[in-house]
Amino acid sequence: MASILVIEDDDIMLKAVRNILGKDGYTILTAKDGKEAFDKLENETYDVVVTDLMMPYANGLEVVSRLRSDETKRHIGIIVISSVGNEETITEAFRLGADDYLKKPIMAGELLIRIRKLLSNKNSSSQLVTRKK
Amino acid sequence: MRAIIEFFSKGVFWDNLGSYYQSAVFVYGTTLLVAYASLAIMSLISIRRYMKKNASVDYNVIVESPLAPGISVIAPAYNEGVTIISNVRSLLTFNYPKFEVIIINDGSTDDTLEKLINEFELVHVDYAFKEKLNCEPIKRIFKSTNRAYDKLIVIDKINGKSKADASNAGINISSYEYFLCTDVDCILEKDTLIKLIKPFMDEEMSKIKEIGTPCTECGYVHVKEDFRKVIATGATLRMVNSCDVDEGLMIRVRPPVKFLPRFQEMEYIRAFVLGKMGWDLINAVPNVSGGLGMFDKEVAVKAGGYDSKSFGEDMDLITRMCCLMKDNKRKYSVKYVPITLCWTEGPTTLKVFGRQRSRWGRGIAQIMSIHRKVIFNPRYGRLGLIVFPYNFLFELCAPVIEFTGILFYIYLILTGQINWPFAIILLTFVYTYSVMITTLALLWDQITFKYYKTWGETIGLCLMAFIEPFVYHPLIMFFAIKGYFNFVTGRKHVWGNMQRQGFGGQKRKSAVKAG
Amino acid sequence: MWKDLIDLLFQAYEQFSLLPLFIEIALAFIFIAILSTLVAYSAILYKRYRAYIYDKRMAYISPKIEDMITDQVLLNPNLGMDIPLENIEFDEQTLSDKMYRKPFVRQMLIDTLISYRKNFRGEVGDLLRKLYIDMGLEKDSFGKMKTLRWERKIKAVVELTQMDISISDVTILPLTNSSNPALRAAARNAYIQLSKNEPFKFFDIATEPLLPWDQLEMFKIITTTKDIAIPNFSRWVSYSTNKSIVSFCLKLIAHYDQQSAIPAVMDLLANKDHYFRADAINCLGKLSAEVAEDKLVKIYNNQPLNCQIEILQALGRIASGKHLEFLKSEFLYSSNFDIRMNAARSIIKHNTQNSRLMVEELMEVTDDENQLIIKHCLNPLIKY
Repeated sequence: MASILVIEDDDIMLKAVRNILGKDGYTILTAKDGKEAFDKLENETYDVVVTDLMMPYANGLEVVSRLRSDETKRHIGIIVISSVGNEETITEAFRLGADDYLKKPIMAGELLIRIRKLLSNKNSSSQLVTRKK
Repeated sequence: MRAIIEFFSKGVFWDNLGSYYQSAVFVYGTTLLVAYASLAIMSLISIRRYMKKNASVDYNVIVESPLAPGISVIAPAYNEGVTIISNVRSLLTFNYPKFEVIIINDGSTDDTLEKLINEFELVHVDYAFKEKLNCEPIKRIFKSTNRAYDKLIVIDKINGKSKADASNAGINISSYEYFLCTDVDCILEKDTLIKLIKPFMDEEMSKIKEIGTPCTECGYVHVKEDFRKVIATGATLRMVNSCDVDEGLMIRVRPPVKFLPRFQEMEYIRAFVLGKMGWDLINAVPNVSGGLGMFDKEVAVKAGGYDSKSFGEDMDLITRMCCLMKDNKRKYSVKYVPITLCWTEGPTTLKVFGRQRSRWGRGIAQIMSIHRKVIFNPRYGRLGLIVFPYNFLFELCAPVIEFTGILFYIYLILTGQINWPFAIILLTFVYTYSVMITTLALLWDQITFKYYKTWGETIGLCLMAFIEPFVYHPLIMFFAIKGYFNFVTGRKHVWGNMQRQGFGGQKRKSAVKAG
Repeated sequence: MWKDLIDLLFQAYEQFSLLPLFIEIALAFIFIAILSTLVAYSAILYKRYRAYIYDKRMAYISPKIEDMITDQVLLNPNLGMDIPLENIEFDEQTLSDKMYRKPFVRQMLIDTLISYRKNFRGEVGDLLRKLYIDMGLEKDSFGKMKTLRWERKIKAVVELTQMDISISDVTILPLTNSSNPALRAAARNAYIQLSKNEPFKFFDIATEPLLPWDQLEMFKIITTTKDIAIPNFSRWVSYSTNKSIVSFCLKLIAHYDQQSAIPAVMDLLANKDHYFRADAINCLGKLSAEVAEDKLVKIYNNQPLNCQIEILQALGRIASGKHLEFLKSEFLYSSNFDIRMNAARSIIKHNTQNSRLMVEELMEVTDDENQLIIKHCLNPLIKY
């Protein structure tokens, strides 16, 4: 089953997302700040990263940009979950390469659907990528 | 306090002293005591009011909102190569939706700039700006090519030999309507911007009076707004010395272990929690500390920004901003937040500490002489009738009065004119009073937040109050006087006048300044 | 023995009363100072002890509460099955646990539910609300409304608003006129969110100004409450005499892109207050009101700097291309830096064939400083 890294500094939200996604059978790893997230991204590979924007050490946009600029991690799907609602930040996240942006409060069902969609898109496009290489 | 000894013991040995001066010193001492007692009460009211008012506030509202005002964070850096990366990183992680971080490399001679360029993928950009405030020339301006750091602007400028000059350069570049001034080596709480912008958005436009009938020209009933504009906000500072900090992030708060910074922590708590919060209640905050303060840019720029020649540029700016508002007949207020948002490194050696305090001493002397038109001037309202007189009498004059008082005491002892039992009783009075005030400050501090984890840490800090009058206080007094001396020798013409007004009449030590 | 003691005290008093007055005062104050220091110490210790106990209870209870919510709500097997909410039942036994009868725990439960609601809406959010009601926690909140302390009342109003529980008008309306600004704001927000018939009634009657912070909160509530009927805000722009309400409505008009409000907003251009005019111009720009362009250019010369800058920005937002020449002449001939900067930015913002040609042309004819301005505005790395 696909593995997902959840990065979120709010304890309640972190646990909740872990539980909700875990229920659907995904393998969930968590990080509660930017530093821990970078460590975990370094050592493991994931299919999807779900990240908050404002957290200690590094913000979520940095996570997105680091993933997108790394050849080996470019394929990872990224979903940003944040309470920030201004247009600038949202477009910035997409420009950096986030696949989805969910504004808090989120709908649990929506998160699940988006993850499923990301995973299925990736499976169909992965053949393309390999052929290009 | 010892003034009282003096005054009342006159029956025994006042022969060779004029009763006029005795009474003056008595009044001085009593006023100071009353002032401290009222500050203690006012600060309690003001802290409790803040806590109650903000208990149910959902600060997240501003993070979500597209209406959040923009804030420019301005942090000058001079030879900070060792910590610059983690500190800038931590500035970039504020909990706020709309801000920029302006780092001013003030002609560092180390690798500060190179490190920044490499870490944040900076490139030189053509940046057009208007020089609204004076500063040394800006050489280059950098932005990051990585959009994740698009909040960051780095300025490389020629060293202006002062933080004021560097901050002015940052204000020139800044594009938002509020700015936060800090030091790059300060550790800031990530909610700093939210907590400091809140008072600006609670501007008390309390009363609106409608005047007359709808205007024929615009169709509106003209109204008179009783509008109090918040021009600056500040928050409590503490010592970072013994805290656990990881890459610019506060992990665990501890009072400093070493004695010198530990005294400073206690002094800061007293000055901020008791002093600033007390003044906040009656809207007479004298100063927003240079370590952390948020300002309304329009007012600050109109007031002329920081003065790079000033030794107390933070208080100087606030004073000029207040004067500007008063000159334009607008109501204003300076607000303080009773929460610690900023941790700063306190000097650990006597040499550095002495230099800092002498500078402060010189700064306040300078401000008093530059703005002498304000003092006792009813046109400046509270600023002229409360803030300035208080600072003049109890901040500026206190060390001098104390010092001469000690000399006089020694004279009395040597000539055998002292009534020992009474003198001891009065000294005990001053001492216990000072301990009480400090302990109250530490108690008020516990109301807002439990900063220290263990009982030992709290009590350990409290106990410093008992030795402070003997150890720390004389040091502050000495360095302040040294600062005044520098001021006098540096600028004679301004000083002569002051000397006659302020110092001629009072030769006696009066009170423990801090207690 | 009692007599001895009284005698002793009496003697002491006699001794004391023989002292000079100032020494008496000093002694009295020494006593007071020592006493208050001791009291302060005990208060510090007591406060720490209380905090310690609180932390300990928290550490014990909060994982239990979180587990309960996780089991009952997040992992509820009926979620995502299209089962109507009323039919989803919680586990009776868990909910009736003795623990949940203690006031302390109940308050914590409310706080935790609210923080979950801040993160989740939709089905999970509704289920959280159902849990709040089923456990009778709304009664706790309503109980708090009855206290006399305003900060408790605010807490109650906030809790009920967060949980979307309607409060009767009789209860909430008097609070909206409270003399306490914080309570007033909370009550107003509650009314807007919870009153189903006339949520914007306040705009008609409010005489007190809306503080910027209140505007933030109200904006959030208006834009996130579902099933709220968004009225045409131009009504208040035309008729309200409360400036803060009018400028708030301008922001809402821009947010909801209410094109029909353009004439009403344009009427404000004749207003005397230039901050107000600036707000109106800003709103027109955000509405891309092409009809207003000519008027804006016409009044331009009589405006103070802040309105001129707003007009230049508005022209950049509207970007019809009709006034490019105007922007160009402002850029070339204005002596004010901010005007040139904004004119350049607005030209570039057009991003049409004409505007690009104009920029190239300007780069050739203009002086160094103006060239720098253009480079600045063209640089994608620089936001402002």
